[in-house]
Amino acid sequence: MKSVGQRVPKLDAADKATGKSRYVQDLRLPGMLEAKILRSQVPHGRIVSIDVTEAWKVPGVRAVLTAKDIPAKVWGYSKDQVALKGDRVRRIGDELAAVAAPDIEAATEACERIKVVIEPLPAVYGMEAALAPGAPLLHAARGSNLVQTHLYEHGRIEEAFSKAAKIVEGTFVLPAQQHGCLGPAGAIAEWDANGRLTMHDPTQIPFLVQRDLAEALDISPADLRIVQPCIGGAFGARLDLYPHEAIVALLAKKTGTPVRILFSRDEDFQTDPVRPRTIVRLRTAAAADGTLLGRDADILVDCGAYVSWGAMTPVVMVNTFGNFYHCPAARYRARTVCTNTQPTGAFRGFGNPELLFPMETQMDELARALKMDPIDFRLKNANRAEETTPAGGHITSCGFKEVLEAVRTRLKRPAAPAAPHLKRGIGVAAVFHVGGGARIYRSDGCGATVKVDDFGKVVVVVGATDIGQGMETAMAQIAAEELGVDVSMVRVATQADTDIRLWDVGVHASRTTFIAGNAVRLAAKEARKQIEDARAALKLPADAPLDKVVRAEHFRQKGRLITASVFYDPPTSMVDKANHGNVSAAYTWGCHGAEVEVDTETGQVVVKRIVAAHDIGRAINPMHAEGQVEGGVIQGLGYAMFEECVLKDGRMQNGYFLDYRMPGIRDIPEIETVLVETNDPEGPFGAKGIGEPPIVPIGPAIANAIADATGVRMREFPMTPERVWRALRGNR
Amino acid sequence: MKLRLSMRVNGNAVELEIEPHRTLLEVLRNDLGLAGVREGCSTGDCGACTVLVNGKPLVSCLMLAPDAEGASIVTIEGLAKDGKLDPMQEAFVAKGAIQCGFCTPGMILAAKTEDIPEGNLCRCTGYTKIQEAIREERRTTRPQA
Amino acid sequence: MRAFAYEEPRTLAEAGALMARPGRNQLLAGGTDLLVRLKRREWTVDTVINLKRIAGLRGVEARGDHVFVGPLTTLDELAASELVAKRWPILVETVHEMGSPQVRAMSTAGGNLCNASPAADLAPPLLCLDATMKVWGLRGERHVPLREFFLGPGKTALEPGEILTEIRIPPALAKGCFIKFCTRRAMDLAFVSVACAAVGKDVRLALGAVAPTPIRVLPSVEEAMKRCAPIDDVRASAEYRREMVRVLVRRALARVAS
Repeated sequence: MKSVGQRVPKLDAADKATGKSRYVQDLRLPGMLEAKILRSQVPHGRIVSIDVTEAWKVPGVRAVLTAKDIPAKVWGYSKDQVALKGDRVRRIGDELAAVAAPDIEAATEACERIKVVIEPLPAVYGMEAALAPGAPLLHAARGSNLVQTHLYEHGRIEEAFSKAAKIVEGTFVLPAQQHGCLGPAGAIAEWDANGRLTMHDPTQIPFLVQRDLAEALDISPADLRIVQPCIGGAFGARLDLYPHEAIVALLAKKTGTPVRILFSRDEDFQTDPVRPRTIVRLRTAAAADGTLLGRDADILVDCGAYVSWGAMTPVVMVNTFGNFYHCPAARYRARTVCTNTQPTGAFRGFGNPELLFPMETQMDELARALKMDPIDFRLKNANRAEETTPAGGHITSCGFKEVLEAVRTRLKRPAAPAAPHLKRGIGVAAVFHVGGGARIYRSDGCGATVKVDDFGKVVVVVGATDIGQGMETAMAQIAAEELGVDVSMVRVATQADTDIRLWDVGVHASRTTFIAGNAVRLAAKEARKQIEDARAALKLPADAPLDKVVRAEHFRQKGRLITASVFYDPPTSMVDKANHGNVSAAYTWGCHGAEVEVDTETGQVVVKRIVAAHDIGRAINPMHAEGQVEGGVIQGLGYAMFEECVLKDGRMQNGYFLDYRMPGIRDIPEIETVLVETNDPEGPFGAKGIGEPPIVPIGPAIANAIADATGVRMREFPMTPERVWRALRGNR
Repeated sequence: MKLRLSMRVNGNAVELEIEPHRTLLEVLRNDLGLAGVREGCSTGDCGACTVLVNGKPLVSCLMLAPDAEGASIVTIEGLAKDGKLDPMQEAFVAKGAIQCGFCTPGMILAAKTEDIPEGNLCRCTGYTKIQEAIREERRTTRPQA
Repeated sequence: MRAFAYEEPRTLAEAGALMARPGRNQLLAGGTDLLVRLKRREWTVDTVINLKRIAGLRGVEARGDHVFVGPLTTLDELAASELVAKRWPILVETVHEMGSPQVRAMSTAGGNLCNASPAADLAPPLLCLDATMKVWGLRGERHVPLREFFLGPGKTALEPGEILTEIRIPPALAKGCFIKFCTRRAMDLAFVSVACAAVGKDVRLALGAVAPTPIRVLPSVEEAMKRCAPIDDVRASAEYRREMVRVLVRRALARVAS
């Protein structure tokens, strides 16, 4: 193939390398005002009064809004969110009032002059405490802080555990993780004279924002248009509608001029829809010959103060729980809980890193207890192609064996270190993930238009969103391959807005290459057929240049333009009430191997080397696929080793990059990436998703390597020097 | 009270009146329209606002603008010459070292002098391809080294 | 940042007069700490007094019986000084553990010490080198040994209106090591830092981040354990810090002895 499989540089890379790309921070509209939100400093309380009189006295102030000034609409996943809070605050950071002024200093000054009286209420932070009888209630209407219970079961669980040769169990604690997008959040709103709203919004879900924001503003979605500027990182952080988007639109409406809101880094830390704190109690049973018999999980997931996508992570966890490995019996309960902390959201991997740290730790524990090689143990229980799992997942292509063997051949036991306080070890962990979309929403589809113009230029208009992963380039390669043109002739209209683009459910679930790629491929195929038909009808020779054929077809009597629009929705279903179903058109496997060195006196762990093997179906662009693997591995390394939100009385204590430690360039190990191509029958040119899987197995691979080096099992992230030191001393 | 500030920015002499509490970052972005100077944290921890001041990479968010008096400053906008990318920019493009791109201008400028730009955070790439790009640039521009 | 008045005095006398004016006056050196505090609104200030136009406050040179380090010398200038590299490689090693290249090119030696952070990285090695702070004030000049300079977190022996004009280091060569113990390998703050230097046969030890100020202690694990008084904070627990003092002091002493 000439385009697919090539290491084509990103189409937008030169613009990004020269500073020409425009993020929301770079856009300026005539007359534009800047907005600032006043936030609660009380974690839980009743709002007694908000007096904005003094705010109006700051020169230049054009609007000051409180809950009284805006439509009384509740919105969000569980209809528990409002743009500005009028009666209650439920966390530090809740939105109380908003100001628009010509510059950020004036807007900030005005916010600081607003007098707020809040009567504090008892607050609750831990999930277990929030579920205890008599706990302070966040949402009285719900009657409890329990949001939802997710159940799943297959096989005979009690029997499985009663006949097991070996059972391992443990409680695993996972921290909140910040997305840490280098580009802070923000948005610009402008209304036209006909009362139509345009949002310049770096969202991952333009079409869902069109619907949800209209609901929050009490306007028709037909009067709303979303334009996406360049997005400075997302990873799930931009996957819902957030209060600031409604607030900036309301300020723009009130002032009759464009308004922009940009978050400072502090504010970004305070409002980021973090990966939820999760507690997993898990036990796993196996027979003496290494056959997996059963697994049993009880999980708590922290929603924070309002319900957003964090509450949906049990739906992804259960997919892995029911489908991964041949496991004849499985029982699962996950409860989602509200606490007085920042609302939690979607983060790359979406529950899978939280579940697979426990699961893959116990796979390692069982292998050791049964004196089996950890890779042989996994192979013995591995999923295979062309099988349907007890949870209803239908497996098409499967490269599980290949990724396990790829790690086995590349991960070598290191020589013993010279100093007696240093210990070295190796560990592996695997991942199962959706690779062909995930029908967690009624539609999992995407539309694409391909047009070929009179000059032979191919323009792809696709619903999908580029968040830096390289969607644009992958789509151009797919279109170029299908049309038989050079990639340089293809443009992808990423600047296009929701008026022009066709529906897409959003960039999440590692779905874009698979779903949007299929839409683009089918549209390109249709366009190619139109060209071939024209060539035949006009009796043009087979080597007639493309632009000549298009022009001849265009200018003839009753001529037509070469353009094709296609909607692709994968052949999948939502899960039923018992959480059974085939949510993805393809599944994907990966395996990571880690080599570590542990300083047993200080607890410091140095990750020396990572082997990351992933079943990608087909790499449309190997360079960018590697980029997804390397980026995911390091983000997962941060989650496992460095990153956590330290809270005190509901307030984040380390909301800046100095103390919220994302990995830096000196912290990264050597990474060897192996892309296994299994050529999926439904994927575009055989491709499957790769965005999320690499963040998942790195943590448990490191934990298993620490166990190999020291004999000590880590069951809490991040595995900081102090935690490892405490574990080595046998206490916590 | 405003101060007069003279400096050279991307080879051009610039004179302007500034309020003394402005940072170099604010002056470059807001007064001079150099949007490639990215503000990632404003407290010197991420490196996205890195510019070259008299040839050295500095974080412009922590430099008070009056301290730039007389300085020669290069931002990402000043790196490409006559429409041709700088070798470091070329290497970043060719090696896939750019994803969301927000850290990229600061990273490229820091990499002009630093083999390991440890003051610049990137959340997308995992740094592996950034290291490859820097090695590639060193190989092509300093073949004897 | 909120607006402030701004002054660029040309002499110490001018600076001293500005400092004596009513209101909250703040000296600006490298700015990497001051600007962060102003941006976070931890400090408010009426007038910022930039010291960079005052001659003679920057650079490293041998002067008679000591080495002069100007307080406005940036960290990267300090590390690049041949004088420093030859006599005190420990200072070069320390600077390379601090901040990032961008920050090292802006932060000053004087700023690092005058902020009086318990975790100030330059303090432990300079304590080992018996550095003295030369201080100018409207009432005259005085010398304060670095050991007496730190009074508590953010507190120094500087009186209102006084300005640090020199970090004076005795010229004796020292070999030693600096161990900065933190999570990441760059851009991080120490849980514990240990400097150990041998000047001739005299072994010296100093600790950072384990007491209200950086401290010089007698060169043994027992003395270090006796003197350290760490706290629990967002970075580490007191208990862990104490144990790390034990481990890291032992390692530092062994490294210097070998």
